[in-house]
Parts: sequence; C-alpha cells; structure tokens
Amino acid sequence: MKLKKTVVLSLTMAAALIFTGCAKTESGGTGSAASGESASQEAKASSGKGKDGVTLSFMASQDWIQDAEIELSKKFTEETGIKVDYQIIPSDQYVNLLMTKLNTGECTDIFGAQSGRFDIKAQINVEKNAVDLSGTAFSSQVEPLVADELSIDKKLYGQPIQDVSSVWAIGYNKKIFEKLNLEIPTDYESFTKVCDAISAAGITPIYECVSDGWHHTLWLPETGIQAETKEPGIIDKWNENKAAFEGNATLTTILSQVNEMVSKGYWGEDYMSNTYADSAKNIASGKYAMTIANQGFGAEVNKVNPDIAVDDIGYFVIPLADNQTLNVNPAGPARFVFSGSKHQEEAIQYLEFLAKEENLAYLTENVSKFNKLPFQNAPSMYTESVQDFYSRYTNKGTVIQTAVKYVNPQWSEIGANLSAMIVGEMKPEEVLKSIDEVRAQQAKAAGDPAWK
Amino acid sequence: MNKNKIYPMWFAALALFIYTVLFVLPGLIGIGYSFTDWSSYSNQLHFVGLENFKTVFSADENYLKIIKNTLVFTLGTTVIKNILGLALAVLLTKSIRLLNFHRGVMFLPSVLSTLILGMVFTSILNPSTGLLNTFLRGIGLAGLSKPWLTSPVYAFPSVMAVDIWRGTGYIMTILIAGILSISQDYYEACSIDGASSWQKFRFITLPLLLPTLATTTVLNVIYGLKVFDMIYALTNGGPGKATTEVLYTAVFKKFGTGQYAIGTALSSVMFVFMVAIGFFMIRTMTKDEVVE
Repeated sequence: MKLKKTVVLSLTMAAALIFTGCAKTESGGTGSAASGESASQEAKASSGKGKDGVTLSFMASQDWIQDAEIELSKKFTEETGIKVDYQIIPSDQYVNLLMTKLNTGECTDIFGAQSGRFDIKAQINVEKNAVDLSGTAFSSQVEPLVADELSIDKKLYGQPIQDVSSVWAIGYNKKIFEKLNLEIPTDYESFTKVCDAISAAGITPIYECVSDGWHHTLWLPETGIQAETKEPGIIDKWNENKAAFEGNATLTTILSQVNEMVSKGYWGEDYMSNTYADSAKNIASGKYAMTIANQGFGAEVNKVNPDIAVDDIGYFVIPLADNQTLNVNPAGPARFVFSGSKHQEEAIQYLEFLAKEENLAYLTENVSKFNKLPFQNAPSMYTESVQDFYSRYTNKGTVIQTAVKYVNPQWSEIGANLSAMIVGEMKPEEVLKSIDEVRAQQAKAAGDPAWK
Repeated sequence: MNKNKIYPMWFAALALFIYTVLFVLPGLIGIGYSFTDWSSYSNQLHFVGLENFKTVFSADENYLKIIKNTLVFTLGTTVIKNILGLALAVLLTKSIRLLNFHRGVMFLPSVLSTLILGMVFTSILNPSTGLLNTFLRGIGLAGLSKPWLTSPVYAFPSVMAVDIWRGTGYIMTILIAGILSISQDYYEACSIDGASSWQKFRFITLPLLLPTLATTTVLNVIYGLKVFDMIYALTNGGPGKATTEVLYTAVFKKFGTGQYAIGTALSSVMFVFMVAIGFFMIRTMTKDEVVE
C-alpha cells in the first residue's frame, strides 16, 4: 500500500510538473515580450536625462536596421532629446514575435513589417494596429508605387526602410552584344534574333537555373504585368475573382515562349542542374551572354572577373509577350507607428527626421546596398548602366506576385509547375489552371469574400 | 505461474500517462485538425468534415501520385536493401582478409548525415560537371551519362539508388549479427550430410535468419514511409510537379504555404497507412512465437 501511495504521489507530482511546464512555455512567450518591454521601461527611466525624457522603442527584424540609421538616431537624440532603443530580432522569429506583440496589444512604439497592400491589411491589420501617417511631412515624398503598398483607402500607414528600386531584368554582357553588333531587343521577335545570333557565335544565350526552384519562376510573374498593359483592369479582376489566369492570352503566350526558348536551345543544356550561385561566374566566363538578374549583378560579375567592369553588364526588361513595361516590385520592409504607443508624436517626429533630404543622402551614401531610397527627395547613386536602364522605360507596373493576391505564397509551387512544363509533363494551360486552383484554396482558407 | 510475481498494471500508469500526454494526445489533436480549415490565413477554425480528405484523394490533385511514390519507394528500397544486405552479410561472415575493414566500409554511409549525403550526391550526379558522368565520358561510355536527378525518367530510380547505397550497410550489420548467432553445429551436420553451400544457405541460414529479416523489413518499411531528408536534399520532390514527391515532403510544403489542414490530412492518411502496415507486419512476425 505504501508503494501505491508513493506511486500516486509521484504521478500527481509528474502531472503538476508537466502542466507547470506548459504554463511556463506560455508565459515564456509573453515573458520574452514582456522582458523586452521591461528593458524598454528601464531605458525610459534612464532616459530622464534627455530633454523630453522619452525613449522610443523600435523593434525590427535583423538586416532592417542599418548602422547608419543608428548613427543618425544619435543625431536625432542630440537635436530633440528623444532616445531610440532598437530591439533587433532574428529574422526567423520576427513575424511570430511581432504578431504576438500586436495581438496582446503590447508592441513597441515603432515596429518594422513587410509592406504589401494585401499583407498589411490581412496579416498586420494596420488599420487597427498602426497610426495613419498621411498628415506627416514625408507622406507626399514617398514614391507613389511604394506608398500604394503601404496604404489602405488612400491612408498611408508606413514609411519604407530600404531601397526597393532594383528589378529582375535581363542582365547582359555588353561586350558580347558589341562584338556581335546586337541591339537591345524591344519585343519577343527581336529577342529571338539576338539569341540566334549569340548561339551562332558559339555562346549559350541565356543562363537559367531551374534546380534552385525559384529563379526560373521569375519569367512568368515578372513579365505578367504585360497582361495589365494589354488588358487594363485585369489585375483588379484577378483580385476580385472575376477572371482566371487560365485562358489569359498574355500569360499563355509567356509560357509558350518559355517552352520555345528551351526547345530552341537558348537556355543551353544544363539549365535543369545549374544553380543561381554560379550565375555571376558563368556570365563572367563568357560562356553565357544573358541571365535574369537584378541591378547588383554588374558588381557581382566584376568581383569574379575584374576584366568585366560593373558597367559592362547592361539590363533590359524581359521581353516575353513583347513586354516593355518596367516590372517594379515596390514591396519591402517599412516602419509603422504602433497605435497603442504613448509616444506616437515622438515616433512620428523620428520618422520625419529620417525622411529629411540630408538624412536620406547620409543613408544612401553609407549603406552600400542602397542606390535610391523610395522618396522623391532622396538622391540617386545609380551607375551609368543602371540609370540608363531605368530611364529607358517610361511605363512602370507592379509585378504580379505583389499586385495579385495569393500568387507570392505559391512561388515554389509555380516553380515546380514550370519545371514540369519544361520537361513536358504539363502544358501552359495546365500550369495556369493549377495557379488558379491554389489561389482558390488559399483564398477560401483566408475566408476571402470574393471566393465564396 | 505465481500471480504475485506479475507486476500490477498500475506500475505502468506513469509511463502510460506521459505517453498519452506527449504522444497520443498531440496525435489525436492532429487528426482532429484534419477535419477543419486550419490555415495561416485565418484566425478562425471551422469544421469542414471530410473536405480535406476529398482533396487528398481527388483525381485532379497530385496526392495519389505522392502516396504511390511513397509506397513504391518503401517497397523498392526495402526489397533491394534486404537482398543486398543479406548478400553482403553472408559474404562478410566468411573468413576473408581485412574482414572488419570491409564491414566498416560498407557500414560507413549509414553513419553519415543524410543531408550531407544528399548534397554530395547532388554534386556527383550533376549531368555536366558531376563525377559519375565525367567518369563515364572519360572511359568512353558517354552514351550512359544521363541527367540523373534532373530528368523525370531517371530521378526516382536515382534517389532510390542513393538511399539503397546509404541504407544497405546498416541492414548488413544487423544481418551479420543474426548470422553469427546461428550455431555452427547445424553447418557441421549439414557438411557431414554432403550439403552444398547453396543448400546450407537455403535450409539453415535463411530459415534461422527470418526473425532478423523481419526486423530489418519493419525498420526499412517504417523508414521508407517516413522518408524526408534524402528526397529533400536530392530533388526536393522534383524535377517537375511531383516526380519524386513523397508524403513527408508534401506535408512540409503544405505547412510552408500555410495550408495546415491539408498538411494534417496528409499526415493522418500516413498515420493510417503506418498503423495498418505495422499491425499486419507485427501479426505476421509474431504468429509463430511461443507465448509463455
């Protein structure tokens, strides 16, 4: 009997321990949030020395806060007496932590989050959680396309943090083009002529890497903006579920042309096993003439082969389906002022300070990856080649993965479908049908009224 | 038998309680979620009945192919690993030179990380720069060099081959232990009767090794149904739509796209498979066992 009692007692203790453990985890979750808060509280207490005695807390994912911004915040403190306490979180944990903080109503004064007109509404619920910044001095300076991704009902809720100007375009070796006397193609037909001429010279026209699963996907959603050019309003129809991808002539043309490029040998032979990490090396070797790249590619190629100058790599938009619209993606990390903050005024003051012309110039000069911050009063540091590329295209359009709902989350699935199409397992129409089906699944899961 | 010597059932209570809380309960909750519309897009959860299972078994979707792939992978690797493992075990229980060295070499792939093996083989099987094709071209057999992991025709057999290469040594080691436990007296008796090597293998080694083979089969089947890392590292389910996709890589992808409910439905289907296969295998294996 004694043994029985001991076992019952130990069982009870074990159960108690397990439940305490569970409880600990839960309070641990908020506990870490709370500890962040208490750190801020301490900072606030110690900041009593400042003129206003205010310390702003600013939480962001790693890589979103640059050293140059921290330097600028020191200048801000000198000018106003307001301190800024940065809470930098590892990127893999950031979204979960942010959502926990927002859901418990205990967020930092300023928080960072990805822009995107659908995501800021559905995921972050900025109408409830963030302050309307439309009346601020910088609101009119934010570039319109970028502001669109930060606005709901024409109210601006966020301030962009990074340069989002770089686009996925065809990066080409200017030396090969000059040697073969080739012009920048302006439609698909001239593009095939360029590819034929390059092939005839014994060079593989395009470096493509299907094995990574994401790079070859770019051909469709990046050039998909041509569908909007040809049929204005189609993006709205896609978002309202009044039109499908399947049967869209432009998208079908793009996919058929991808197949044609492969069958004509423009992608060479090893496209299925090539990797993105080797793209600079392969362009630098001169074995390939073109690849889909963004505007940092010239510097990458130059690093591998110093004989090729940064400006020896030029860019033109992907001309599938005769597209000539610059495919911009204005979404990126942004700063939001928390609606529950006691220091909203000071937080807005900080954002206005950062958006001053001299401070934007300081950030652009001191952060190597920034060429042009998305403010009209920000300076441009583009190289000649990049400037030439951007100024060549007057029409701009937002890429499909940002403009159309439920496309970006299925990026890798689209990639798998495209590779199935390339190896002959699927037809272009089936690829588009599959995208429609996954969009419908995700929309239903999200309770989107347009899909009910 | 003296009943006092049998431990009472409540001795198992603590273990059962912990097992229930940590394994049974989460499992049941997981199955419960497969009847809802749980996703990362909505905070609300609704009961949708068998909707997710209808999707899983719908002919329009790829899931049936994924289930088929998983079963083919399991069957193929189990049979070949057992046959090769048995052959190697028989060979490496003979008195040959450097016996332990040979055993070590064969066992080595099993102790390496699957992800690292996957990366190494991705490089070896690269169609243009890979070791295998370079070697084949070097010895004048260019016709045999194939796009091993990037063609829908060769990808699945290639993935299975790499997995067989990795797992055979492990099976061999278990079977060696089984063979060594067979008494030499039987072989001696057989030799006196004039039995050939094949007859010794057929009528002594194989029957006495059956319980060990049953163990290796169970291990292989469970591993095959649960395979993830090897496929993930080599092809990630590709090339194309679902050439080498198996259940766990599909579940992983569904969770990645926030479609948790479909993911849990797939896991539940897998759970049913494993329980059914496990039940029949254990029944078959233990039917000849003597119960005291």
